[in-house]
Amino acid sequence: VSLHPGPVFSSRPARTADRRIAVVTALVMAALLVIVGQLWYLQVLEGGRFLDASDKNRTRVRPVAAPRGILFDRHGRPLVDNRPAFTLSLIPRELDRDPVRRDAVLGRVASLLRIPYEELVHAAERASPESFQPVRIRRGLGLEDVAKVEEWRLELPGVIVEVEPQRAYPTSRFAAHLLGYVREATDEQLRQGRYRRGDMVGQTGLERLLDEYLRGRDGGEQIEVDVIGRPVRLIRNTEPQPGAQVVTTLDRRIQEAAERAFEGHAGAVVVMDPRSGDVLAMVSSPAFEIDRFTGTIDRASWLAIVQDPKHPLLNRTIQSQYAPGSVFKIVIAAAGLQEGKLAPMDRVFCSGEFQLGGRTFKDWKEGGHGSVDLYRAMVQSCNIYFYQAGLKIGAETIGRYARAFGFGDTTGIELSGEKPGLIPGPKRDRRGRLIWHAGETVNMSIGQGQVLVTPMQVARFMSGIANGGVLWKPRLVQRIERPERGVLWSDPGKVTGHFDLSPVVQEFLRRSLWGAVNAGGTGGGARIPGFDVAGKTGTAQSISKSRADKGQDHAWFASFAPANDPEVVVVVLSEGGGKGGRVAAPIARKIYETIFLERVAAIEIGG
Amino acid sequence: MSLKIDRRLLQNVDWALLATATVLVGFSAATLLTLNPGRAGSSVAFRQLAWFGVGLLALVLVASVDYRRLVRFAPFFYLLGLAGLAAIFVVGKTVSGARRWIGVGVFSVQPSEIFKVAFVLMLVWLLCSRWAQPISVWTLFWILPVVLIPAGLIVKQPDLGTAVLLFPVLILLLVGSGIRLRLLGMIAGLVAAAMPVGWLLLKGYQRERILVYLDPLRDPLGSAYNVIQAKIAIGSGQLLGKGVGGATQSRLAFLPERHTDFIFAVFAEMWGFVGCLVLLAGYAFLLLRGFDIAASSRDPVGRLVALGVTGLLATQVLVNVGMVTGLLPVVGIPLPLMSYGGSSMLMSLAALGLLLSVRMRQFQ
Repeated sequence: VSLHPGPVFSSRPARTADRRIAVVTALVMAALLVIVGQLWYLQVLEGGRFLDASDKNRTRVRPVAAPRGILFDRHGRPLVDNRPAFTLSLIPRELDRDPVRRDAVLGRVASLLRIPYEELVHAAERASPESFQPVRIRRGLGLEDVAKVEEWRLELPGVIVEVEPQRAYPTSRFAAHLLGYVREATDEQLRQGRYRRGDMVGQTGLERLLDEYLRGRDGGEQIEVDVIGRPVRLIRNTEPQPGAQVVTTLDRRIQEAAERAFEGHAGAVVVMDPRSGDVLAMVSSPAFEIDRFTGTIDRASWLAIVQDPKHPLLNRTIQSQYAPGSVFKIVIAAAGLQEGKLAPMDRVFCSGEFQLGGRTFKDWKEGGHGSVDLYRAMVQSCNIYFYQAGLKIGAETIGRYARAFGFGDTTGIELSGEKPGLIPGPKRDRRGRLIWHAGETVNMSIGQGQVLVTPMQVARFMSGIANGGVLWKPRLVQRIERPERGVLWSDPGKVTGHFDLSPVVQEFLRRSLWGAVNAGGTGGGARIPGFDVAGKTGTAQSISKSRADKGQDHAWFASFAPANDPEVVVVVLSEGGGKGGRVAAPIARKIYETIFLERVAAIEIGG
Repeated sequence: MSLKIDRRLLQNVDWALLATATVLVGFSAATLLTLNPGRAGSSVAFRQLAWFGVGLLALVLVASVDYRRLVRFAPFFYLLGLAGLAAIFVVGKTVSGARRWIGVGVFSVQPSEIFKVAFVLMLVWLLCSRWAQPISVWTLFWILPVVLIPAGLIVKQPDLGTAVLLFPVLILLLVGSGIRLRLLGMIAGLVAAAMPVGWLLLKGYQRERILVYLDPLRDPLGSAYNVIQAKIAIGSGQLLGKGVGGATQSRLAFLPERHTDFIFAVFAEMWGFVGCLVLLAGYAFLLLRGFDIAASSRDPVGRLVALGVTGLLATQVLVNVGMVTGLLPVVGIPLPLMSYGGSSMLMSLAALGLLLSVRMRQFQ
C-alpha cells in the first residue's frame, strides 16, 4: 500500500462524480426541507397547542381556601369563628416518581408525625400522579408538628403544610345540632360532583343548609415553577372570596342559658318568640363535640359517635318523637270549650280511677283530686277529668283540633330530617267497621297511646296559644348578607296555619296555664314570684314500655311568659327525667330568669 | 510543500464560509448567554467563544497545510485517534453514565469528536490508494475493519450517535470515489439483513430510545420526556418565537441537555419558525458551499476530502435537528457550531479548515 495517492478515477470520468455530488447535495437539501416542514407543523400548525402545554408545564395553581361565612345571633354576636389552621398535604405531582424513594419520604412523614404509614400511601395513590391538587392528610396540625415538617422540608419533596381557615367554636358542644359540623366532602358528595376532594362541606344543621352561601369561593395563586417545582414567580393571585354572613334568629345568651340549665339531661329545649316564630334557642342533648369533626377525625372516633346508643347526632328538637303526655290536655280543653262539649263550670269527681269496658285507667295522683272543674283539672293535671272529657269530645274532633294546632305534620323548619309526629284517629277497615276503641280515645286524652309530637311542634303550638292562633314556620335564619353586596336572601317569616279559638276560650287557657304554675298547680317548679309564667307540665310514658325501668317517663314542660303579653315560649323535654313538674319546670324557670333578668331583678328589688 | 503562505492561496480563502460559521457561533453564544441569565450564562457563552478562538487557530493551521499532505499522514492521525478512543477505557471520565471524556489539564477532551476528522482523512487515504481502485468487494472488505474498530470502541463508551455517524460518511465517500451503484445496493441489502443482529448488541436504553422514537407515548416520563419537552419548546415558539424572556421551557429547565444536544430547541423557542429558517439557511449555505468545493475541486483527493467533511457536517446537522424535532430517534449528537462543547467546536472548525484548504488549492 503506497502512502502516496496515485492517479485514480481513470475508469470513471469526473463528470460522473460531479453528477453524484449534485445528487447528494439535492438529497441533503431535501432532508433540510423535510425538517423545515416539520418545524412548520410544530410551530405554526400545532404551535398553539404546544404553547398551552408549555404554560401547563410551568404554571401551578396553589389553591387558597376561602374562609367560611360567619353565623351571627340576632344581636350580631358571632356563633362561630374562623382561625388559621395548619394542614399537612401531599402534592402528587411533586412526590418522587420512583416508588421506593417516594415511600421513603412517606415513611419519614409517618414517623415524624406518627401518622399511619398505610394512610399516607393510600392517600398518595388515590390521586393522579400528575395532579397538583393538594391531597389533605391531617388538618389542625400542632405547631410542634409544623416545625418538624419545616425542618425536614428539603428531604420531603411533595409534602407541604398549608394554612387554611378553620371553624372555631366558643365551646365544643355549643348549639351543635343547630350549627352542624363541617367536614371534608364525603365520597357520596364527591360523586355528585359539586365538590372537589378535600373541600370542607357543612354536613348537618345550618352549615349544611346554607353551605352554598357559607363556603365562599376559593382563591388561588398561579405561580411559575421550574422543572423541579421550585416557585420562580407569582403570575396571578386570585383573592379568596369569604362566605356570606348569616344572621340567625338565635340569641346566644339564651342558647347558653338553656344549655347550662339543661346540663346533665337528655332531651330537648326549644325557646321561641311566639310573635314571629323565631327560634331563640335550640338545645338537643346529648350533643356531640362539634370541633372534633373539623380536623381529620379517625375512623374509630367517628364510629364511636355514630354508633353511640345515646345518638348524640340526633337533633331531638325535630328528629325525635315523644308522647306529649299531659301537655296534650291543652288541646283537649281547647277543643272541648270551642266545640261546646265542655263547660268550665262542669264538675267531675276524681276518685283516682276510671273504669271503661272492664279496664281501669288511673290518675297520676293516688286517691284522686276529688271534685274538679276544668280549671282545677288543668291546674292539677287531673287525668280522670280529661278521660271523660275526651270521650265526650270524641277522637275525631280531638284529631281535627290537634292537626289544626300543627301536630301530625312537619313544622316546615328548614333543617333536614324533621319528623312529622303522629295524631291517631278512628279508621275504618275494608268492610266499614271502625278500628278504634274507646280506650284509645281515653289514652289520647292525656297525650298517651299513639300520639307522638316533636318538641318543635309543641313550641309552635304554645306560640299559637300565646299569640292568638297563628302558627309560624319556625324561623332560624333572618338574612344572609355580604358586606359588599348587601342582603342576598332574607326570610320575612311565614305563617303556615291559623286556628280560631274564641277570645273566651283563649282567655280561659291562658288563665289555667298561669294557674298551673302560679296557683299551686303541677307547674309550680317554674314559678317566679312577681313574674307571670304560664305553662303545662307533662309526664309521658316512653314508647319502650317493655323496659321495667320506672325512670323512663319523659318530663315535659310547655310554657310561655309573660302570661298576659307573651314574648317567649319555652318548651323543655327531659328524656327519662321523670315528672314534668319536678324536672322540666325548674329548667324552664332558669331559662326565663336569664331571659328576663332585668325584669325579674326589678321585681325582686321592688318587692 | 511548506507552511509559507502563498498570495494565491490567500486570494482563494472562502470568506463567506468563514463568515457564515462565525454568525452561527454568534447565535450559539447569544443563546447560551440568554439561557442562564447572569454570570453563569456569560461564563458558558464566554467559554464557547474561547473555544471558537482555539478552533479558529486549528482552522488556520489545518488550512495552511496542503490537505494532500494531511491525507498522506492520515494513518498516523487515525491510529492516534484510535489510541485516544482506547485511552478512554483507561483514563476516561464518566459523565452521566457514559465514558466519553479524557481530562487534559483543566479541559476535558472528547476523543470521538476529534476522531471524526481523522476518520474522514483515513477513508480518503484508503479510497485513493492504488489497490482500492476500482472499488470492489475486496476494497470494502479491507475498509470494513477501519470503520468497525472505531465504531465498536465508540459504541462501547457508549455513544451510539457518533458511531452511527461513521457509516453515512463512509457511504458518501464510496459514492464519491466511484463505487458502482449495484455494489452499493448490495451493501444496503447486507446492512438491512444485519439490523436484527445490531438490535441484539444495543444496550437497553438505546433500544428504548429507538422504540420511543417509533412510539413517543410509550413512556412519557422516561426516555420520551426529552422528545416531548423539546417538541413543546419548539412548538410553543410558534411563528415568531417567545423572545428571550418568554422562553420558559428552556429557562426553567424543562428542556434537558439544553446547552448541548438540544440547543436547537432553545433557539426555536426563543425565535420561532422565522428564526429557525434563518438558522437552517445558515447551515444550508454552509453545506451547499462544502458540496460546491467538492464539485469544483479538480483534484480527486480534494474532492473526496471536501465531500467527506461536508457529509460529516451535513449528517450531524440533519440527525441533530431531526432528533430534536422528533423526526429521528434521540441519539447524542451535537449540532456543529451551535452546541456547547470544545471538542465539537474544534472538530467543526478543523473540518471547515479542510474545506478552506481544498478551496484554496483547487487550481493547483
